[in-house]
Amino acid sequence: MISASLNDRMTRIGPGTPAGAVLRQYWQPAALIDELDHGPLVPVNLMGERLVLVQGDTLHLATRVASADEAPTHYPASEDIQIDPTGPTYPVDLRAGAVWAYLGAGNPPPFPMFDCFRAPESHVFAFKGLWECNWLQALEIGIDPAHASFLHRFLEDEDPSDSYGKQFRDKAGSTEIPMTKLLRDYPRPDIRVDETDYGLKITALRHMDDGRTHVRVTNQIFPDAICIPMSREMTITQWHVPVDDTTCYWFTVFTSFDKPVNKPLMREQRLKEHRLPDYAPKKNRANDYHYDPDEQARLTYTGMGLDINVHDQWAVEGMGPVQDRTQEHLGRSDVAIIRYRRMLRRAMDALETGG
Amino acid sequence: MENWVRIAASADLDRPRPLIPVTLAGKRLVLFRDETGALGLIGRNCPHRGADLCYGRLENNGLRCPFHGWHFDRTGQCVEQPAEPEGSKMHEQIRVPMIPVRETNGEIYAQIGAALAQTGSEEARP
Repeated sequence: MISASLNDRMTRIGPGTPAGAVLRQYWQPAALIDELDHGPLVPVNLMGERLVLVQGDTLHLATRVASADEAPTHYPASEDIQIDPTGPTYPVDLRAGAVWAYLGAGNPPPFPMFDCFRAPESHVFAFKGLWECNWLQALEIGIDPAHASFLHRFLEDEDPSDSYGKQFRDKAGSTEIPMTKLLRDYPRPDIRVDETDYGLKITALRHMDDGRTHVRVTNQIFPDAICIPMSREMTITQWHVPVDDTTCYWFTVFTSFDKPVNKPLMREQRLKEHRLPDYAPKKNRANDYHYDPDEQARLTYTGMGLDINVHDQWAVEGMGPVQDRTQEHLGRSDVAIIRYRRMLRRAMDALETGG
Repeated sequence: MENWVRIAASADLDRPRPLIPVTLAGKRLVLFRDETGALGLIGRNCPHRGADLCYGRLENNGLRCPFHGWHFDRTGQCVEQPAEPEGSKMHEQIRVPMIPVRETNGEIYAQIGAALAQTGSEEARP
């Protein structure tokens, strides 16, 4: 557990805040390329700033005129957007199916050469989804390898050959064991954390009864991204970027290391679960995430269907708009979260002392 | 019945999964019946990382958080942490504040007092 003031310091991201200054040192996902069809002006709500993508000779972000009471994900029509010429403008770049922005001071850093940015366009697919909570609790669930054995537990296993585009449904590595069974049978992973030059390498070891060990690596890419395996074919690189202090988007780039990504299928699977234009999940707090106690007793741990994004969303939104970390009790399974917070504090302190 | 407030009717828990959310003096709580029929009224957020226990699994004579499987009895005491290392005693130190409840003539009452004040689950949303 931490003090209320430290919790504020780590979670608040508006202009002039310490955590906001850290996030602004890196390229952040601002929109999906699909959103460019909206018109010449595309609204972008990012890190407490009300912005607009201006399409023209040079695609860039400008500030838009916004009323104080508009919704966090307000998405006006192109013709209703008014650019505020007194506000800041920011550079953008198009990569891997998304629009990336640099909201920091000075020149942007070089674009990082992660696999998802090096892969050909045919092998990457990007999507996003809205979570109504602070970005840090959204990131922290991604660096907690133990939760998958509970939150995403399926009480029965499906056929892994029907798993395209879905997380945790493939067979585990070179075995014939469905990931769902492996996660269920080995709920106490031995978690190792190494600090690296990109963030953290988090290794979850599940020691199996037959003497083998299942190894799953989560790379935490500082400050707000993770890279994890989705199936034997694809990885997920996922950013948890703030809209404001109590709203965030996950932006995921799916990268195939084998066949080209079946983008129409990936898009269709995900559009079925989301509402446009704000990419808000159709299952949400207002409709109890379609919670079904009977399903919870028979089929899934949560009773909220088979889509693991909904499970994660329930877990992080249920903590409240900003998790009250003065009440938390971290365990051994949270070792990567503890290490991550240490890195974030160091980065905030270094910026403040000019380091 | 000084400091006791009616929070529900016994009939409200006559359902296959006897659990309902309760808000009392600005605190968000969860009321449930265990397998012996006894009532538990505890803070709504899991003491681990704050997940919402209203969606918990009612099993093994208690309430289990779906996030990491932490299991609580009706007094709010944590009795199991299945993601922690084998042999860990951490759960002995973990409890969710329990608010005293009593059931009389088909009505359920809760005590407004010190236990309620300790509960961290403030009502944060309208």
